[in-house]
Amino acid sequence: MQTRLAAMIALVAVTLVAISASASYGAKSATTTLTMWSYDNQDPGLEPVLKQLSKEFEQSHPGVKINLVFKDFNSLVGTVPRALASGSGPDVTEGNQGYQTDAQLVKAKLIIPLTKYVKKYGWDKLYAPSTWGMFRWTPDGKSFGKGPVWGLAQTGQNVVVFYNKKKLKQAGLNPNAWPKTYAGFEAMLATLRAKLPKDDPVIMEGNKEGYGFIHLFGGIWGAYEKPSVIRNWIYHVPGSRYDTPGTIKALGSLQGWAKKGYFNPDYNAVGYDAAAGLFAKGKGAMWIGGNWDSTIIKALGVENLGVMPIPPGPSGTWAGIGGLSGPWHISAKTKYADLGAEWLNYVITSANAKKLMFANQQLPADRSAKPPTNDPYLTQVFNAFTKVANDDGLLLYTDWASTSMYATLQNQYQQLLAGRTTPEGMAKAVQADWAKFDKTLR
Amino acid sequence: MPRPDKDDPGAARQAPPRRKHPRGHAPGDPRNIGWLYILPGLLFYGLFTLAPLIHTVYLSLFSWDGLTAKTWVGLANYGEAIRDSVLRSAFVHSAVLIGFYAVIPVMIGLLLTAALTRTKVRGFRFFRTTLFLPQLIAGVVIAQAFAWVYDANGPLNRLLDLLGLGSLVRPWLGDFTWALPSIGVIGSWVTFGLCMVLFVAGVQKIPLELYDAARVDGAGAFREFFAVTLPGLRNEILVAFVLTTINALRSFDIIYNTTAGGPGNTTIVPSMYMYQNAFLFNRVGYAAAIATVLALAIFILAAIMLRIGERSEER
Repeated sequence: MQTRLAAMIALVAVTLVAISASASYGAKSATTTLTMWSYDNQDPGLEPVLKQLSKEFEQSHPGVKINLVFKDFNSLVGTVPRALASGSGPDVTEGNQGYQTDAQLVKAKLIIPLTKYVKKYGWDKLYAPSTWGMFRWTPDGKSFGKGPVWGLAQTGQNVVVFYNKKKLKQAGLNPNAWPKTYAGFEAMLATLRAKLPKDDPVIMEGNKEGYGFIHLFGGIWGAYEKPSVIRNWIYHVPGSRYDTPGTIKALGSLQGWAKKGYFNPDYNAVGYDAAAGLFAKGKGAMWIGGNWDSTIIKALGVENLGVMPIPPGPSGTWAGIGGLSGPWHISAKTKYADLGAEWLNYVITSANAKKLMFANQQLPADRSAKPPTNDPYLTQVFNAFTKVANDDGLLLYTDWASTSMYATLQNQYQQLLAGRTTPEGMAKAVQADWAKFDKTLR
Repeated sequence: MPRPDKDDPGAARQAPPRRKHPRGHAPGDPRNIGWLYILPGLLFYGLFTLAPLIHTVYLSLFSWDGLTAKTWVGLANYGEAIRDSVLRSAFVHSAVLIGFYAVIPVMIGLLLTAALTRTKVRGFRFFRTTLFLPQLIAGVVIAQAFAWVYDANGPLNRLLDLLGLGSLVRPWLGDFTWALPSIGVIGSWVTFGLCMVLFVAGVQKIPLELYDAARVDGAGAFREFFAVTLPGLRNEILVAFVLTTINALRSFDIIYNTTAGGPGNTTIVPSMYMYQNAFLFNRVGYAAAIATVLALAIFILAAIMLRIGERSEER
């Protein structure tokens, strides 16, 4: 007993010495720690890219430590304003374009305009001039798409159709002849429904977080409504409306998909990435979602995978939800704004960054980047993005349009798909949310 | 209910004649020192309970995004709360949840208590501990576990399939009709152990003679339960009801981690709606108004229940 006690005391003493030694060692080498918040960890998303690049950044900047913190999207945007305001929040963080998050960060002066750094690093060449709109705000946080630039994004994102070629073949369809029109696409869905086993969904859908249908709807919406009308509505250009005949038709089309049983019935209980994972395991003939999940999908086998946007309808444009990834901001309270900007420049524009992003199936936002020629799957993902981007069909994200739009859309899509509201009813409810918020901007 | 103060010798003893010490109270009976004793507790209570409560009420009188300058709006947030149909349905959902979080667990708890006290159960401690265990698990963990149970391909649906009840199979948490009851069942599962432990402890205070007398009088299990056990547990039942009802009204973690208020708004509850307003819609003032209304509702309900309890005691 006594020896055991003595051993314990010795152990505690040794531990204490070790702790104090490491503490004094840490104090000697003055480190600068930068904390970065990101939600780009969609199993795995950009997480490995950011980790690797930060390690490289630490090596080229002795004494600098990059503390990467990953949170899921909803908890990051729910906490970041107060974290920044507290003064002990992140030095550099992702926000979210639109009125719910970025407008508030700008208005409350929690982040700084990046004008100085855009000039210093020549960032203006990264994106097409029209693309910059999603990072621009007037300093009062009221006008979206105008004013200085407050953020910078890492990847290009859009929602596309990932399809299982084997199942298309089984249904008697040519997997290499993608329909050229929206009508042709709908005919393809109908054929698949008729040929697939009853318990296998045509479209594997995950709407648990509430954004599944916000994303999926873009391709249908853009088939019936002009992308510029949709974007102006998000930017609150006076006179914009959601309840247009085109939008109502598109909502009707989506409701029709549900009525015809194209989706797995448990879509409200399956997560977004989880649905992608199930599709990758062979469930469903398609998964319609963000290209940032293309790594998850890859598990199905690249020879079996096709990637295309939903084809154009009466609007005549290849369109879909998309834009650039979450905007990185520099905190107004950080002591290391210049260092933060340097890190941003490294993880977004360096040759290593682009190479790593491609290697992780992510598309760099830098429009000069080209995918490696030896990766046909990645090339498909890349082409599906540029097809829409070059047609000016990226519809941005609908929930940017007001502070409560995300919740309103989540609720309305669930009701629409369950047949509890009509397309007209949903259009009216969404427009009412927009109009209520629009009043606060005037 | 008039109290017989004048004729009650006990009442007279409580109010000693004051003539002898006209200047104050009796020596050795300095009443103000009582405040000193409760000061530490009072300080904590004031700092961490009363002050935030008052601050919340104060915030509810402003339009505020949580970061920039506040604008005074008076009672406008309360006016909106009264007209808000989402908030109204949130309270209706809470009422449904009270059934699942309070009424059902108390009934199950009583049933188990009756069973456990009537017969000698082998491994009684084991059962008591196991049944109480849900109380000790974090809400998030419970939510994740049940999300799996209720999953379209989860054990519940598999079981239904096995039993030949395939027509009942559904995505429980994604179903407009079944999402709220499904969450309710989680609540019942969490709280019945607490009720049971309260009741089992209470039963041990009931004098054994009462049971003996009941048995001598020829009372069966039912009569014994209703004549002896139930009245003896009145206080415990009251405590259980108050605790579980407050739990039901405050419930947030399980809903946030299973349905987040969906599908549609079918599982939204006041606390969830308050969270959305404060942290997602940037409407802290309105969220504070919802919080105040919710606190008031809990306070009133608890007061009513305690009042009922007191009254039955006086009888």
